[in-house]
Amino acid sequence: MGKISEKDRKQLKDIFKSLPQSVKIVMFTQEIECEHCRLTRELLQEVAELSEKILLEVHDFVKEADLAKTYNIDKIPAIILIGDGDYGIRFYGMPAGYEFTTFIQDIINVSQRDPKLPHDVLAVLSKVYKPVHIQVMISPT
Amino acid sequence: MEFPGIILDTSTIIQIQKPARNILYDMLIVGAGPAAMSAAVYAARKMINLAILTIDFGGLMNETTEIENYLGFQNINARDLVSRFEEHVKSFEIPANYGVPVKEIKKKDDFFSVFLEDGTVYSGRTVIFTTGERHRELRVPGGRDFVGKGISYCATCDAPLFRDKKVIIIGGGNSAFTTALDLIRVNAEIILVNLMKEWQADEILKQRVKKYEKIHFLDNHEIIRIEGKDKVESCIIKNRDTGEEKRIDIDAIFIEIGLLPNSAPVKNLVELNEEGEVIVDCLCRTSVRGLFSAGDVTSVPYKQIIISAGEGAKAALSAYDYLVRTSLI
Repeated sequence: MGKISEKDRKQLKDIFKSLPQSVKIVMFTQEIECEHCRLTRELLQEVAELSEKILLEVHDFVKEADLAKTYNIDKIPAIILIGDGDYGIRFYGMPAGYEFTTFIQDIINVSQRDPKLPHDVLAVLSKVYKPVHIQVMISPT
Repeated sequence: MEFPGIILDTSTIIQIQKPARNILYDMLIVGAGPAAMSAAVYAARKMINLAILTIDFGGLMNETTEIENYLGFQNINARDLVSRFEEHVKSFEIPANYGVPVKEIKKKDDFFSVFLEDGTVYSGRTVIFTTGERHRELRVPGGRDFVGKGISYCATCDAPLFRDKKVIIIGGGNSAFTTALDLIRVNAEIILVNLMKEWQADEILKQRVKKYEKIHFLDNHEIIRIEGKDKVESCIIKNRDTGEEKRIDIDAIFIEIGLLPNSAPVKNLVELNEEGEVIVDCLCRTSVRGLFSAGDVTSVPYKQIIISAGEGAKAALSAYDYLVRTSLI
């Protein structure tokens, strides 16, 4: 049985119909997968099947260590959303529970190439001149 | 481990795309209350290039609880009606800029520039201006200091905070009596204070409110000061005939003393009446060609959802005719 119910699949297909541009989901797991890695990969495969605009690329964190380093990935499961470029969007862990909706919203935003932030907020953010490390901790329930 | 499951809450997903800044739209709809949403549906069906610029969807409807006079619905929750309107509009995939107020609208040659507070500018051949109204503030000492600390302009939002408490409602019209109904539901003790001697609300509302045991009516009275330390604790009330003043201990004050039109973005562009409302003719035309207006912000009397929706439809059709007649599309 799939991880996404038939009802949710139908709703997501409707939502994805209007995706204007493609989105690449890059996922890092490893050959001997942890439980979370396997479940995350299976969930992402189901999401990618729902739209031609969503492309899934799965990589091995150990065997492709250099690539992981390029993306600054230091733990798995890791998900990166790519549009015209890498916007720095990272999901670590499984986007389950309520975070699934957040994950879908991010796919839409990347597809629209629009962070959906007011221009004055974007103007302030453009003044951030050195790397800032922000981690948001969530629970899947 | 077992898969914990997913929760797909489609109501929180924002699919709307922002309007493009480098496009000259056929129509820009400013606002997203019932007039704007109705205009959007009618305009979208004409297949013209349009965009919506708004702070929120629903406008003042978001501050109402039950609606009993919108044709087809004997009783509907206001937010449900807004959701239905919104769903209808979104089915057309109209781009919308959401969350940023419009600062000013200017006309140059045959097109309009709509300036947003964050500096963004959108261009359109026509504009439908439907920014609605906002609450009139109570201008007495303490009136501003305690907003959100016992002073409220939204019973739908705040009434549940004052269960079993003692509250004052200022006003005598339908909004004041609807606020009373919200507070009756939470068993509050209510004092209704009106500046005038008459209560202007609809008879059906008055009868319903008067049945409540814990309500007192003070007509011909005014609040002259609101007092408290960190929140509202009391107010000074004055009898307008005798001049007698007295202090009443109180937990909250709900203010329903009327509404003011949000016409500032066009005040230097179109003709307004004495109340600051945009003057429109029966085709929703303003004094500026190509700028149409509808809903509560206009000089059209009787501020009702159904009237706004009708006026919005009319404004869209009128603007479309203008575009065709002037060969702009």
